[in-house]
Amino acid sequence: MSDRPLTLPLALLLGLVTVVTLFPVFWILMTAIKPPTDWNAVPAIWVPSEPTLVNFQTLFDPEALGVYGVGGVSEAATQAVFGSLLASIVATALSVGIGLAAAIALSRYSGGGRATPLIILSGRMFPPAAIAVPFVIIFSTIGLIDTYFGLIAIYIAVTLPFSTWMLKSFVDEVPKEVEEAAMLDGLTRVRAHLTVTIPLIKGGLFATTLFIFILNWSEFLFALVLSYTTIETIPVRLAKYVTATAGTLYGVQAALAVLAMVPLVIAGFLIQNHLARGMTFGAVKR
Amino acid sequence: MTRHKLELIGLRKEYDDGNVVAVDGIDLAVESGETIALLGPSGCGKSTTLNMIVGLEEPTGGDIHIDGKSVVGRPPGKRNIGLVFQDYAVFTHMTVAKNLSFGLEVSGLPRSEINRRVGEAAELLGLTDLLQEKATRLGGSQLQRVAIGRTLVTKPAILLLDEPLSNLEAEARQAMRNELRRLQNEIGLTIVYVTHDQTEALSLANRIAVMSAGKIRQFDASGTVYNEPAHTFVASFLGSPAMNLVRGELRRDGQALAFKSGALTVPLPARFDAMAPADQAPVTLGIRPENLRIGQPGDSGLISTVSVVEPRGPEAALTVEAANTDFAVVVPSAARPEPGEEVSLQFPEDSLVLFSGETDRNLALPHNVEEAA
Amino acid sequence: MTMRTDTLPEAMTVSADEEPVSQRKGTRRKTLGKALLLPGQLISVFVLVVPLLVAFYMSFTDWSPTRGALTSARFIGLFNYEELLVYDTRFVEAVLRTLVFAAICLSLEFLIGLGLAVLFLRKFRGKAILFSMLLTPMMVLPVVVGYTFWMLFQSNGPINQLIELAFGAGASPDWFKSALLAQITVIVTEVWHWTPLFFLILLSGLNAVPENPIRAAVILGASPRQVFWRVVLPMLLPVIVIAFVIRAMEIIKLFDEVFMLTRGGPGSSTETISLYIYKLAFNDFQLAYGAAAAFLVLIGTLGLVHLLLTPVRNQLLEARN
Repeated sequence: MSDRPLTLPLALLLGLVTVVTLFPVFWILMTAIKPPTDWNAVPAIWVPSEPTLVNFQTLFDPEALGVYGVGGVSEAATQAVFGSLLASIVATALSVGIGLAAAIALSRYSGGGRATPLIILSGRMFPPAAIAVPFVIIFSTIGLIDTYFGLIAIYIAVTLPFSTWMLKSFVDEVPKEVEEAAMLDGLTRVRAHLTVTIPLIKGGLFATTLFIFILNWSEFLFALVLSYTTIETIPVRLAKYVTATAGTLYGVQAALAVLAMVPLVIAGFLIQNHLARGMTFGAVKR
Repeated sequence: MTRHKLELIGLRKEYDDGNVVAVDGIDLAVESGETIALLGPSGCGKSTTLNMIVGLEEPTGGDIHIDGKSVVGRPPGKRNIGLVFQDYAVFTHMTVAKNLSFGLEVSGLPRSEINRRVGEAAELLGLTDLLQEKATRLGGSQLQRVAIGRTLVTKPAILLLDEPLSNLEAEARQAMRNELRRLQNEIGLTIVYVTHDQTEALSLANRIAVMSAGKIRQFDASGTVYNEPAHTFVASFLGSPAMNLVRGELRRDGQALAFKSGALTVPLPARFDAMAPADQAPVTLGIRPENLRIGQPGDSGLISTVSVVEPRGPEAALTVEAANTDFAVVVPSAARPEPGEEVSLQFPEDSLVLFSGETDRNLALPHNVEEAA
Repeated sequence: MTMRTDTLPEAMTVSADEEPVSQRKGTRRKTLGKALLLPGQLISVFVLVVPLLVAFYMSFTDWSPTRGALTSARFIGLFNYEELLVYDTRFVEAVLRTLVFAAICLSLEFLIGLGLAVLFLRKFRGKAILFSMLLTPMMVLPVVVGYTFWMLFQSNGPINQLIELAFGAGASPDWFKSALLAQITVIVTEVWHWTPLFFLILLSGLNAVPENPIRAAVILGASPRQVFWRVVLPMLLPVIVIAFVIRAMEIIKLFDEVFMLTRGGPGSSTETISLYIYKLAFNDFQLAYGAAAAFLVLIGTLGLVHLLLTPVRNQLLEARN
């Protein structure tokens, strides 16, 4: 709409916004590689002179900080990393799989009705804290509390509207004539979907998978209320570190935060062009 | 209404540091109250010319005058030029009334004056009943009226219309053609149509400027452009099928003058004698398909074979092969031969046009637009 | 969306099938459609609908885990709801606070996001990389965002050190000890986290605004400012509404960042609806009461979104179909 160049004041403004945007990420990255002496230094140490991986080591070996004469964390984050990976990967795979079936059904075999998007939106409006209440009651009654099975079931249910909707918008973009042609060649419907439809939306499938993974990996509240001793995820462990060691173990906390953040930032950049579509249920396409 | 004159003087637009020349120094003078068409295929530079006239792009050379004063460097809104876009570009989020008043509101005219002018324009264009409608609810020709009205209320000196009929259906097209002619008669504006469609140009404009490759090849009354093309491009662009053009050379044999191309020889009338160049000079022979005549095999003329017959209602378009050259011929349907039939092809002397093989210009028109520049 | 159920079998009849066969095919199509939808429906019913129904029932009881099985809960009608709306000032305050946070954050996110998006219409080098950089915050998980800002706002943290550098020693405040300052940290965190979403959506929208109406406005004499306010912004309106609706739905549920930043404190000065319900249910074990609060919030949110969507509902539905 306008091809005007950036004037100097505007360029400076943009530069300032970029600095403010990146500073928190920069700070946490730097803190994660600071030795304990630098964590709380006054004046602040922006870039550590002797970067170290000891904070990351401490996550898996609570005593690793001993070389600096600092007591470590009470509990390693190993289980949390395992828990996050397990819950996120399994729930993402199932959510995308089930969502794909539903997306094909909605796109090819039934209208789904004009109200569907609004129903999905309503589902997103219910505060998770409120959904968590009956979960905890029912799950404790049937023994699913503090199990990965229970956590994964919730993750699937919560992300299903997103995966279904995002995938449907990709399936809609495949002309149905392509499948019909395959069926004229003698393929069954199911085979036609498997060999024609799905390969054609590979890119969309990939983007959806990463998007759902981001949602699952970021989830905090359900994991918090469903975990007692057996299950744990990285966000829950981070919260526990902050309560248990308030303010003293910045480096280790930051290391866990970085561990939590890195996969998502990478996934986010990989699907940058689909983020608007995912976040707006396809109302905004790029 | 006061009338205004538009002049383009050596207008030039280069892109990419002169590596691409979109408009190659064109001259054009549109008289007050005149309706002209800028006709050419896509990529010929007509859109760039249009953008330069309204001020969306600045020329890299030459000048644009309105009533003798240069407007180059003035912002688009200050040139007093109106433009109706091909896609109308109506503001869809507004009502018709709001669309019509937009140009007046942004210039801060008093409300009463705005209402008066909007009322007038709505009346003129038959939009009075639609004033409170949202623009999204309108159809193609209504949108076009809104686009025209929106411009007219600002009382532009010059009105430019970009492909005004191409987005309309056939029926609406005819109606809009009449409407545009009526408007022109009623308000006497200076109008420039920009189009790639020759029928549109021929039906709407008094004079047509034919453009190709950034140059104006001919600027003349529509009949003249059709019957006396100044350039082989004009000959090949107008008419359907276009004029037959055969490259060859001139032969002088004493008093007799002839055109020769391979096995094809066409005797030329004496009127070419004065202007025709020397013996063996390269020339291009042109003749309109409807001017070629078909006779019985025994008649005088070239012996030839009909290869394609394309019925078109009252007439038929033929492809006829004579002396290894394909000619397009239009004949009345009643007289149409069968494919494969042998006929004689006659070249009526009066209809022959001769172009220079070097400059592609019509040899009968010594002073054409480019030389005048 | 059209129902294609009946048109397809004819279009793709492979051989000259007898009538009953093609009818059977039609039935098979429908069966396949239903079968494909079934897993998703089952999961949604068992994991979402059943618990919600239980919660709905529960909200009319005085049940708490300390009082034995759910079946033994006493039915108390609308008591919980009345209590919440009439007597529970903490709930009402949490609702109002969340709405005020939402209003402030969304306005700031919208204005900054729009400003950035408009800047991105200009031509400059390194646009693509800068675009990615500006999107970074929304790719960071909420818990980590909350933690990071908690660290940044510590009394001896980098923000305070910068303040002292600029305004001298002693100028820096203790962010989490004052209600107002703690509320500011929540707002700063939210705005940092989600402005990129507005930026992303608005830039997509701006790039989709057709060129010619803008040119037409320019030729009609509108100044750049008039073009922006009278033409571009109105054409962007549906996209703006979508961005607001999406964000409003999320910020009403605001929990993770506040949990990490302030836990709702000092006092209850940063307590959001979600945080309050969480505390009710999982700190005080008033599950039935919490469920009632949740349903009130759902009704309120539905109403709010309905209101926000009214001007663009049709366009939104068309975009999805």
